[in-house]
This record gives sequence, C-alpha cells and structure tokens, in this order.
Amino acid sequence: MARISIDPVTRIEGHLRIDAEVDGGKVSRAWASCTMWRGIETILRGRDPREAWVFAQRFCGVCTTVHAMASVRAVEDALSLDVPLNAQLIRNLILIGHALHDHIVHFYHLSALDWVDVAAIPRADPTKAAAIAASLSDWPGNSPQEMKKVQGKVVALLQSTQLGIFANGYWGHPAMKLPPEVNLLALTHYFQALEFQRKANQVVAILGAKTPHIQNLAVGGVMNAINFDSLATLNLDRLYMIKTLIDEIVPFVHQVYLPDACAIAGFYPEWFAIGGGVRNYLAVPDLPVDGKASAFDLPGGRIMAGELAGVVPITGSRDAAFRKGVVEDVTHAWYKGRGPQHPWQGETDPDYTDFQDDGKYSWVKAPRFDGKPMQVGPLANVLVGYAQQHALTRKWTDDALGRVSKIAGRPIGVDRMQSTMGRYLSRAIRSAMLAELATNHWERLVDNISKGDSTSYNIPSFPKGAVEGVGLHEAPRGTLSHWVVIKNGVLSNYQAVVPTTWNASPRDEGGLPGPYEASLVGTPVANAEQPLELLRTVHSFDPCMACACHTLDPSGRTIATVKVL
Amino acid sequence: MNLAVIGLGNVLLGDDGFGPFVVELLRTRYVFPPEVELLDLGTPGLGLITYLHGHDAVVIVDAVTGAGNPGDVRVYEGAELERLPIAPRVSPHDPAVSEALGVARLAGTGPIDVCLVGAVPGSRELGAGLSPRARAAADAAAEIVRRRVEERGFAIRSRDADPLEQNWWVRSCS
Repeated sequence: MARISIDPVTRIEGHLRIDAEVDGGKVSRAWASCTMWRGIETILRGRDPREAWVFAQRFCGVCTTVHAMASVRAVEDALSLDVPLNAQLIRNLILIGHALHDHIVHFYHLSALDWVDVAAIPRADPTKAAAIAASLSDWPGNSPQEMKKVQGKVVALLQSTQLGIFANGYWGHPAMKLPPEVNLLALTHYFQALEFQRKANQVVAILGAKTPHIQNLAVGGVMNAINFDSLATLNLDRLYMIKTLIDEIVPFVHQVYLPDACAIAGFYPEWFAIGGGVRNYLAVPDLPVDGKASAFDLPGGRIMAGELAGVVPITGSRDAAFRKGVVEDVTHAWYKGRGPQHPWQGETDPDYTDFQDDGKYSWVKAPRFDGKPMQVGPLANVLVGYAQQHALTRKWTDDALGRVSKIAGRPIGVDRMQSTMGRYLSRAIRSAMLAELATNHWERLVDNISKGDSTSYNIPSFPKGAVEGVGLHEAPRGTLSHWVVIKNGVLSNYQAVVPTTWNASPRDEGGLPGPYEASLVGTPVANAEQPLELLRTVHSFDPCMACACHTLDPSGRTIATVKVL
Repeated sequence: MNLAVIGLGNVLLGDDGFGPFVVELLRTRYVFPPEVELLDLGTPGLGLITYLHGHDAVVIVDAVTGAGNPGDVRVYEGAELERLPIAPRVSPHDPAVSEALGVARLAGTGPIDVCLVGAVPGSRELGAGLSPRARAAADAAAEIVRRRVEERGFAIRSRDADPLEQNWWVRSCS
C-alpha cells in the first residue's frame, strides 16, 4: 500500500492538501485538508453592514465578485429590501461575465493539461488537426496555419533547456489517451481562450468600474447612474461596448469550449464511471428577473442519493427548508465546539491539533444539509435543472451528451453525469447556458431602461434590535451563502459558507466524508509517483481553497510525496 | 511603451498585503503619466495573465518567502522569475507569477520587461495593516519602483498635498 500526499505548496501555509491511501492500484481512503485558518469572517463583526461587501470581496482573490454579491444580498435579505430591476440585471450581467471568465480559465488554463499530452504535439499533423476541428464546429480559428503556428511554439519550447509552463506536466503518462491531433487542437484553443476570458472579464470591468474588486455595488442596488445620453453614466455607448463583447464571447463558448469539453469527454468515456462520490446535490436559484428576487432564470433545488426524480426545488433566500437546513460540523475541523451549528449561531474559535487521520485534520468546517454532505457546483446546477425539466438546461445538456456519445461511439446518458467527467462537462454546459442568458439579460436591461426606468438603488434603513439574513449566489464553484446577524445596524455575526467548504469538507460527527474525499475513493492510480488521476478528480471540482493567503515562494515547491506503507 | 505596477497580496492578512500597500503608497505620493497604470490585484492566482496583457513592462510588488529576514527587500528580474519551478496546480490560488509570465510570453501578448520587488513578511495573521518592519520595507520598495519607472523614461511628479498615510483597509480596521 502507498500513501500519496499532494501538498502543492509545502513551504507556504494555506492550501489544499490531499492524502490518499492507494491499495491494489486504487484509492481506498482519502482526506481533504485545508492547511490555513479560514476565520476571515471574524474581521466583519462590529462593522457597518453597508460596507461589509468591500471586505468580503477580499476573502478570496479569485472569486472577489461572488463574495461581494452574496454579502449585499445577505444584508438586503435581513432588511427585506427589494432591489430595482435595473440593478438585478446589471448584477446578473456581472455574475455571468465573471462565471464565463472563470469557467473558461478553469477548463483551458487550470485543468486541460491533465488530459492533453503536450509531449505528443510534435507528432500531430496540423492539416488533420484542422479537419478534426472542422468536424466538431464552424469556428473560424481552426485553420491548418493556426495549428501549425502553435505546434511550432510547442516544438521550440520542448527543444529548449527550459520547458517553461510545461516543465512539470505528466507527459507521456499512461492515462493520457488523446490522438496527437486532438492534443494540438486543444492547445491551440488554450491560447485562443486567453483572449476570450479577458473579454468576459471586461464585461465585469465596465459594469463594475474595476476588476478585480468591483466598485459599483451597494446594499439596495448598484451605484451605476443610468442615462442613455450622459457621458458620465451607464449610457448607450457603454451598453453597446458590452453587447459587442458578449457577441464575441458567445460563439467562443458555443463553438469552441463546449465542443472541446465534449471531445475530451468522448475520448475518455471511462471517466464517466470514476469519481461519483457524494450523490447528494445542492444548488440555489440565481439570475433573479424581478426586484423581489421571486423568479430566476437558473433554478435551484436539492437531489438526495442521486435520485433525480426526487428533486426538491429551492425557491430563493426565503426558502424555509434552506434557511433551516444548513449547519456546519467541526468534529474533524480545527475548531472548538461540539455538534453541528447553524451559521447564524456559528462560532469560529480555533483549536489546532496536528493532522490526525481519525481526529481533526482540516481548517475547513463540514457543512451539512439536513445532516447530509452535499456536492455543489456546475454538476449540481445541471442535475437540479435537468430534473426539474428546465428547458435551457435540457437543451444544452442533451446537445452536449449527443456530441459526447457520437465521439465515444456509444450512448452516454444523463445518468453517467454523476462522475469526474460529468463535472467537467457540466461546467461547459453551464457556460453554454450562461452565454445564451448574457444576450437575454442585456436585452432586458436595455428594454427596461428604454421604458423610462432609470432607478438602480433603494435606500436601506436599519431597524432597532436584531435581524438575520442570508445572501445566496450560485457561484462558478457552486452554492455560496453569506449569513448575517445585524443588531441595531451593526454586524454581530457573519459566516460565509463557501462552495469549496461544501465540497472539500472533512468527515462529520457521523464519520461521513465530504465530496472530494468520497469521490477519490476508487479512483485508479497507475503510478503513485505521478498521481495524475487524483489531480483529475480534484480539479473536476475546481478547488478554490485558500481564500486568502498568498505569498510568492521563490525557492520552489513540491507536488506529491509518496510514502509506501 | 506602457507600464503597470502590480501589487499582489491579501490586504486582510497583515504583511501579505505588502504589494497592494506599496501600490497605494505610490498612488498617494506621486502623479504618474497615463501610460503608467497602478493595479492592486489582490491574490488573482493565474488570473494575473489577464492583467499582464497589453503592457510592455511590469513591476510586480509582492511578499516573498525564503529570502531573508522580515522586512528584507529583494528585486528579481523577469528571467529569474521564469526560471522558478512550476508544479501542477491544485487550486487556482497557488501563487502563479512565474506561470502567468510563462503563459503570456508563449502567447506573445505579455510584457517583455519584468521585475518583482519583494519583501519578506513578518506577520501574516488575520488583520489589516503592516508590521513595523514591513512598513519600513514599503518605503524602500516604493523608492525602488519609482526609480525603475523613471529609468524607463516616464516623468513622475510628487503630489503637493501630504500623502495619505493609511489605506482604506487600515483606516477602517484601526
């Protein structure tokens, strides 16, 4: 038996550590640990709720926008404060821009090289690669010349003494199975994707006044002054800049990202049988289309034990079952306290031991819903929508599974989505949906302003005594909730239950593992020294772990240590 | 030619906020020409690539470990940064300066002239504001950045008013 410990930044505190015991070529037990204290919410106690979002968006450097949004929504929920329709739509466009940026970066720049073998690219025939690309989509950026150019760059880099960004990949690993031409095609799109993730980020920058760390939010709406004809406001010029960007991003998502994700899934169909893990799914509704946030373009719900037919909708932040159902358990986390606590009563009192396999081993608390671990993220999003016959979810899921089945040469149905590959594919499906909604929400915003509505902000007022609220956002990595208690206009408690806490949660009081841990069990490992398969499953969740500490380490890092037990 | 001064780090974690602090210090002390952008990027991980685009030169300011005692300031040139080993990343948070530079170079859209001005952090505990040593290092780093920007032909003017000594995250946390 071997024990693999993936601790990518061993000299820096604050990251995801994965431990896995491998027995007979498969993972038999796994632990997910966050190695840094995450009690960053405590900095918000005693503050003005109207400025909490400015701090909340510094919780995390990668998902700044999502914390800002959940924070203002939490305070609005506590005050039962409606938001003008213009503000909802502007926020939605920001959230869509952010999510598309994030999903494109995840697929191409953070995880594609788990599946794409750069070392095979010199053997590819660029003309054949272009022909394969043409069979997948009408994208104009797939010419043989374009492929040849990228192949040239790779060949030059592989021949140089420094491999640069490709220095540490698991090239030639037995789990790499794409034809050389498909590797070249994917890497060509890796470079093209740089431009489109930037365009998605520009949508956020124009509406949010700045990225990262948007400036336009306020409890009660947005601070964008709206006037079609004024130079200093959100005017027609700016709105058409956004439309131009959306019109460039949408074809990239529909003609490049989705077909690429389907192609990789079709060439690796065995990964539809690996990494299922926790089969309870949770997603909250998002993209509200009215001021009260009573109707949404993306549905929420929960599915238990993988039974899509038993889906229960979640209707919004006022959903009684949701407000009551979420608790956090610290039995195996480095905090004091016993038994599960509701976030409004949540405490964050550190109690560090060391890494104990059967005791405490993580700074992440274990969120549970009705006592059960839940998987969150694009897969939960897609399954919850599919199970509720949501038309847009069905359209793009069926489209994607049709493409995958064609390439794999056998039918792959929605039942196979509860897997490592299902998580990758769901992110592309969700992106395709969001791309379509981007145009739709832009049109609604312009329509509403055209009707003469230029309001974007309602003034909040704080009651005497205590009020509680929860702000929800279905973020790129899944369900995000900020829980606030406001006493006499001041924050007395603030808890953020973030997507990666759901997915990377340690075991709970009853010993039930979290989604990362459960999904790793059974994952095959061909070579314990090169645990590529573990990274594929961990990356499928798009971990966003150390929502905080970042210090450059010029002395280098190690990725995996392997101990034979 | 244009240039960006990029501050990296988390302002809620003590000396980890060194980079953004230096950027704010420069903003309050000097007026830069429009070709020079000052960017507080927080902790973008690989998202740094997005902001490298379109700049001929960048000066990154960050906290660095393993380089000496708290408050020590070190300057790394671009080639040195790109030689740092890159490991497969688990989370998008893993510091990604060398990887982002490598991707930008390969894509042909990145800056040609790169350096990083780093300070060794003392405390990285939860809380806003710098330790006294890091605060002293911030002055030294700001001076290094100012000189580097001027050497590239940009005219910098000192502000007349007293510089704002504290940033928003320090002011509202003290």
